[in-house]
Amino acid sequence: MTGEMLGFAAVAVVLLAASLGVVLTPNLFHAVLYLAAALVATGVVFLLLDAPFLFGVQLLLYAGGVVTIVVFAIMLTERLVGQSIRQTSRYLINGALLSAAVFVGIVGFLVQMPARGPRDGWPGELTALLGRALVGPYVMPFELLAILLVIALLGALYFARSDT
Amino acid sequence: MPLGAYLTLAALVFAIGLFGVLTRRNAVGILLGIELMLNAVNINLVAFARFRADLAGLIFTLFTISITVAEVAVGLAIVIVLFRVRRTVEADHLDLLRG
Amino acid sequence: MRTGSATLALIVLGLPFASFLLLALVRPLRRSAPAAAGVSITAMAAAMVFAILDFRSAVPRAATQSPSTTWAWLPGDGAPMATVGVMVDDLSLTMLLLVTLISLLVQVYSWAYLHDEPRQSLGRYYAYHSLFAFSMLGLVLSPTFLQMFVFWELVGLCSYLLIGYWYDRPAAARAAVKAFWITKLGDLGFVAGIVMLWSATGTFDFWTLFQMGSMGTLPVELLPCIMFLIYLGAVGKSAQFPLHIWLPDAMEGPTPVSALIHAATMVTAGVFLVTRAFPLFRLAPDVLTLIACVGAFTALLAASMACVESDIKRVLAYSTVSQLGYMMAAAGAAAPEAGFMHLVVHGVFKALLFLGAGVVIHVFHTNDVFRMGGLRAWPWLWLPFVVATLALAGVWPLPGFFTKEAILAGVLHAHLTLPFLMLALTALLTSFYMFRVVFLTFFARPHGHGHEPHVPWMMDYVCRLLAALTLAIGFRMAFFGEHHEGPGWLPAFSLGLAGAGFILAWAMYQRGAVNPSRVAAALWPINALARRRYFLDAIFAGLYRYGLLLFARLVGWTDRYLVDGVLNVLSALTLRAGDRLRAIQTGLAQDYVYGVALGVLVLFVLAQWGLR
Repeated sequence: MTGEMLGFAAVAVVLLAASLGVVLTPNLFHAVLYLAAALVATGVVFLLLDAPFLFGVQLLLYAGGVVTIVVFAIMLTERLVGQSIRQTSRYLINGALLSAAVFVGIVGFLVQMPARGPRDGWPGELTALLGRALVGPYVMPFELLAILLVIALLGALYFARSDT
Repeated sequence: MPLGAYLTLAALVFAIGLFGVLTRRNAVGILLGIELMLNAVNINLVAFARFRADLAGLIFTLFTISITVAEVAVGLAIVIVLFRVRRTVEADHLDLLRG
Repeated sequence: MRTGSATLALIVLGLPFASFLLLALVRPLRRSAPAAAGVSITAMAAAMVFAILDFRSAVPRAATQSPSTTWAWLPGDGAPMATVGVMVDDLSLTMLLLVTLISLLVQVYSWAYLHDEPRQSLGRYYAYHSLFAFSMLGLVLSPTFLQMFVFWELVGLCSYLLIGYWYDRPAAARAAVKAFWITKLGDLGFVAGIVMLWSATGTFDFWTLFQMGSMGTLPVELLPCIMFLIYLGAVGKSAQFPLHIWLPDAMEGPTPVSALIHAATMVTAGVFLVTRAFPLFRLAPDVLTLIACVGAFTALLAASMACVESDIKRVLAYSTVSQLGYMMAAAGAAAPEAGFMHLVVHGVFKALLFLGAGVVIHVFHTNDVFRMGGLRAWPWLWLPFVVATLALAGVWPLPGFFTKEAILAGVLHAHLTLPFLMLALTALLTSFYMFRVVFLTFFARPHGHGHEPHVPWMMDYVCRLLAALTLAIGFRMAFFGEHHEGPGWLPAFSLGLAGAGFILAWAMYQRGAVNPSRVAAALWPINALARRRYFLDAIFAGLYRYGLLLFARLVGWTDRYLVDGVLNVLSALTLRAGDRLRAIQTGLAQDYVYGVALGVLVLFVLAQWGLR
């Protein structure tokens, strides 16, 4: 077992455990925390895939931003602080079956894939390359993304305002 | 690690996320499941980018993350308004589209 | 073999048509009865003059020359599909004379007979008469089957209109409809035959078909079937068994109408058809034998029914059916000339009989012969009728004798023994029932007071004219006509039959020597059947009512349960399926995600399949 394989195995276990925790734990607040763990584990996977910039972005936006927002939302939508936030799930078996089926379907395609090793690494520093790409060939989607974020911000503001 | 390993991992996370979407009663819980699914997709994209030495996959991932953030924000805003109006966020009670 | 002028024929055809148009379109003309009668009668008289001119100016022609003049009508590839025109040969020239003469006389007679009718009705009456004259003339002048069929139907329509002239009488209306229906039944066969003939040969034209027949290029396999179907039209129109039942009921119409169309002209259209198309019928000998047998049987059947009738017009109607059977038997025995000659002379003296009956009906205000009598003292009343009776019974030297003998000779020559016997018996019965009527109507003991009855001079003079014509024709045939070579015993035999009938009638009704009721009791099965018209009317009515009603019920059932049922089931299924499917729309987002996931699975399966 190489170091890479060990590292991958560890990260995979953490990620999977955290994901299961997200969907199975009855306490919603705990679920959010599990989600945070899963997001961090995903970031580590990005690191393993030689994309450190994305690791950073993942931590900042996902693990930082999204988790914060979700926590706020939970607090605002549950009655009375202090009450245990419990919830049960519906139709567990059906859901499990369907999810398993989807997984099997995807894997069915994967097994038909010819085995291939990774290509050579990036031609240069990844971050610089990404930066040049963002203001080069991908500048249009980048600008559109900015507009989208503004719209989302305005939308959220509108929703959040009080009725007076 | 071979590409297949990463893709299988992503598939697993995707399936788990789907399970969450299908079974969670709380609206926020469903959103968490969606987050997991999007996450799995991101892993896929980065793995493909690495194994083909193509930058486009990483760019796509960046965009995906940004859009996901926006989507979560708006989605939770909707959930909050829903709570204000109907005093509940249980998915079973939100059936106004019933035919 | 002669051909007449087509132009003159067209004038003869056009005059009554113009009269009809005038009367139909110009309302003031129709409302004024004298004007209407004047227009119609003048047109008819002019037509008769032109018919005589055409007859006298006819020129001989070669056997290969066509007597038809036609113009294209319906277009087709190459030659036109159908033509219109006129065929002016001996047959049609003679018919032209007959139709115009009898029509004219009847129209003049009607003016006096229907004197009491409301003015507007008479205008309608004369319009119908003009239309009928036009239709009948068109029928006899037709050069093609198709044109003949068109005029055939027109004649049927006029018959309906004229029988139902007094349309507010239920019996008359029913009789008109019955006549129409029964003849229509025959017409079905007629049109089927015509179409089959056209599809086999490609033409409707008589002359062309005759040429094909004589050259042997006619397709002969289907010909008997086709000719039988065409004969069916004649069965309906000429009241052969079993489609004869409409003729007695048609007596509901005015008597002049009966004289014209149910004695002299319309009913003879069937015989005319067989005679005209005889070159084709000759090629189907089995059909000819059938025609002869049916004709003879019809003659006998109708004669038996005439013996027990008390309505004078009904007796004459049955007599007409019987004589039509004679004519058909002649045609079937391959002696169409004899049949046609009988048609012409019968037209004259039968019209006279009907018009004479009209006179006594006018005098006694009833049709029942048992309520008439006591007219022995005034010969001018009964002489024309008796002349006609003698002619019908076949007494020398009147026309009926010669034609009947010719028919019997022809039937004998064709070795049709059973028909011959039937026709001989019919001759006996004809003489019997006619003299029965004569004795009861004119010479029986009077019921009322005995002063001289008043008859309008128009009616009287028409009858005298017809009687004179009958005598003239008879003398011409006796002293200047060609004599047929029949068996030598035949003239004596037929005279003997006539005489026997006369003696029988005289014994039973004049002398009182033989009691009629005892004879009736002795022959009671035939008597009972004949009195009930052999139940044929009842059978037809039953078939019509039950058959048609059954069919209508069947169609209604099919429509309600099958057609509507299919639609109702479909719509019910749709509604129920919609109801069930609605349950899928729960409104819960997670259920929809289930749906999406299942769809994705299906796509996976399809893609895997595609990869294979």
